[in-house]
Amino acid sequence: MNQTLTINISGIVFHIEVDAYEALKVYLNTIKSYFNNSEEREEIMLDIEARVAEIFAEAQNDKNQVIVMADVNKVIAIMGEPEQYLTDEEEEIPAQKTHRKREDKKLFRDPDDRVLGGVASGLGAYIGLDTVWIRLFFVAAFFMGFGILTYIILWIVMPEAKTTAEKLKMRGEPINIKNIGKAFESEAQKVGEKLQNVDTNKFSSKAGTVLENIVMAIASFFTAVFNIFGKVLGIAFLFVGTFMLVVLLALLFGSTAIFSISNDGVYSMASQDFFNLIFVNQDQFYLASIAVFLLIGVPVIGLIFLSIRMLFKVRSHYSVGLTFVGLLVVGTILAFMVGTRLAVEMSAEEEFEKTEIISPDFNTYVIKTNITEMPGQGVLEDKFTSISIEGDMMYQRFVELSVERSKNDSMMITTNFSSHGKSPKDALNKAKAINYVHQLNDSILFFPDYLATNKEHKIRGQQVEITVYLPLYQSIYLDKSTKELIYDIDNFTNTYDKKMVGRKWVMLEQGLTCLDCDDIEGITSKELEELKALKMVE
Amino acid sequence: MNIENTQAQMRKGVLEYCILSILNNGEAYPSEIIEQLKQGKLIVVEGTLYPLLTRLKNADLLSYRWEESTSGPPRKYYQLTDKGKKFLEELATTWDDLVAAVEITRKPTKK
Repeated sequence: MNQTLTINISGIVFHIEVDAYEALKVYLNTIKSYFNNSEEREEIMLDIEARVAEIFAEAQNDKNQVIVMADVNKVIAIMGEPEQYLTDEEEEIPAQKTHRKREDKKLFRDPDDRVLGGVASGLGAYIGLDTVWIRLFFVAAFFMGFGILTYIILWIVMPEAKTTAEKLKMRGEPINIKNIGKAFESEAQKVGEKLQNVDTNKFSSKAGTVLENIVMAIASFFTAVFNIFGKVLGIAFLFVGTFMLVVLLALLFGSTAIFSISNDGVYSMASQDFFNLIFVNQDQFYLASIAVFLLIGVPVIGLIFLSIRMLFKVRSHYSVGLTFVGLLVVGTILAFMVGTRLAVEMSAEEEFEKTEIISPDFNTYVIKTNITEMPGQGVLEDKFTSISIEGDMMYQRFVELSVERSKNDSMMITTNFSSHGKSPKDALNKAKAINYVHQLNDSILFFPDYLATNKEHKIRGQQVEITVYLPLYQSIYLDKSTKELIYDIDNFTNTYDKKMVGRKWVMLEQGLTCLDCDDIEGITSKELEELKALKMVE
Repeated sequence: MNIENTQAQMRKGVLEYCILSILNNGEAYPSEIIEQLKQGKLIVVEGTLYPLLTRLKNADLLSYRWEESTSGPPRKYYQLTDKGKKFLEELATTWDDLVAAVEITRKPTKK
């Protein structure tokens, strides 16, 4: 099987085999290079081409519709070798050329003898040194550090010897028909090899060396990997972005948004209600909504946009990016405005305390709470409901309980109410508005784990901190329900809050000490006797 | 001294005169001219003719007209111009002189 080309000579179309075409091209180009006067040259070449077309046309019949090598050889036989075209006027010039042989050498890259770009073989041909030495030099230079750069620069600077004439110039050989013929033979051989490689070798158009093919294969492999990676990343971005956008829109405009499902449970926020509980008026609420949308929504939309670009390779106008930046700036300004307003609202903090003295009627008091649902509808929910509303009332789970040693012999419970506000007076009013009551039934102390205020007081960091003061040898039992209520209770064994519950603790000189733990530490024999007298231990 | 080279020089010298002579008998296209030149063994390949014809035409010694061909591209039919005819006459004189000169040199001198 042979590849054919379609060519047009003097207005007549011929099908010609590739090797025949290459031969004809070399033949005509060589003839052309023999004529110096450009005006004459054009005309002469047209005449010659017309005659070639005529010979080809005669050679064609029903059986032979393709020009083959034999036809080209026939043309050369009829028309003569390029040298024979010369008349007296030109003859001097090629003669001169052979004299100027050395200077006529030109620096080309050799595409026929190459490892990478044919730089070494080209240099070798120019200097007249065997290519092996040049290659060794480059390898040495590579290890000295400048090899790669030098090679790349030379690769760029040196043109490739494409035509037969250029290849002869590269080697400094005179351009005459003997050399052309010689060069042409090896050329034709190469063309044949190239054609054989078409099926097996993807990169046959360059007919490169093994090394070059390996490099190109690796390069195309990485390109493919990067493309796939880009697509995967694009899809991931698209999913994440879309999800975030839905959450954001639900957050701003829906009644309840679930925005995280962790192992702690579902985390959700009734954003409308929540914002209403924070902001004094609707304007601020809207401003905040817009700010949140711009600051979170714009990057999210940007992410979606980016993913679409990665997936479909859509080019975007630079104004798109500019718009994104602009919107972000606007969002920042709005957030700053709302933030300062809110900061003013929260600027002052006030607190007051209530103290209750409890008669130590029991050796051990049980501290309990309820872990039931908060009243009303949850506004901010994580593991438990943090904030909920019912009618005009708002409930917040911001209650903490601590245990300390009493400074005297009595047992006391102090309740500290605190709140922020725009002025000390406002803050104090809000603190006083907190509705929080504990209960004492026999030996059971019951502390609710949420506080209540009227909705109109807004969320202003209202907090209730309870401290139970124990005298010496007074013990308490922390019910398991208080796990979330107690906060950083100092104790002798430095036991964590969450491990303190479900145990009995006694106040000793050294601090709160576990009574029913597996290993009771730090209790002196005197204290032990005292405890035994109180029948708290056996 | 290369015998082939000398022969080629001699042929080339008369080539232009012969081309003009052929065209003096009537217009012709390159292939016809080549046929006659080949008969006279003046040239062996066609390539030589094309540059010559172009130069003669550029020197206003020849003119040409196009004629369609059934078997290929259109052909150039060359003919002599008036200038060409005068040029040919002068060449003819020179040729006669040359032939006479050569004859004289070839005759053995009888002294």
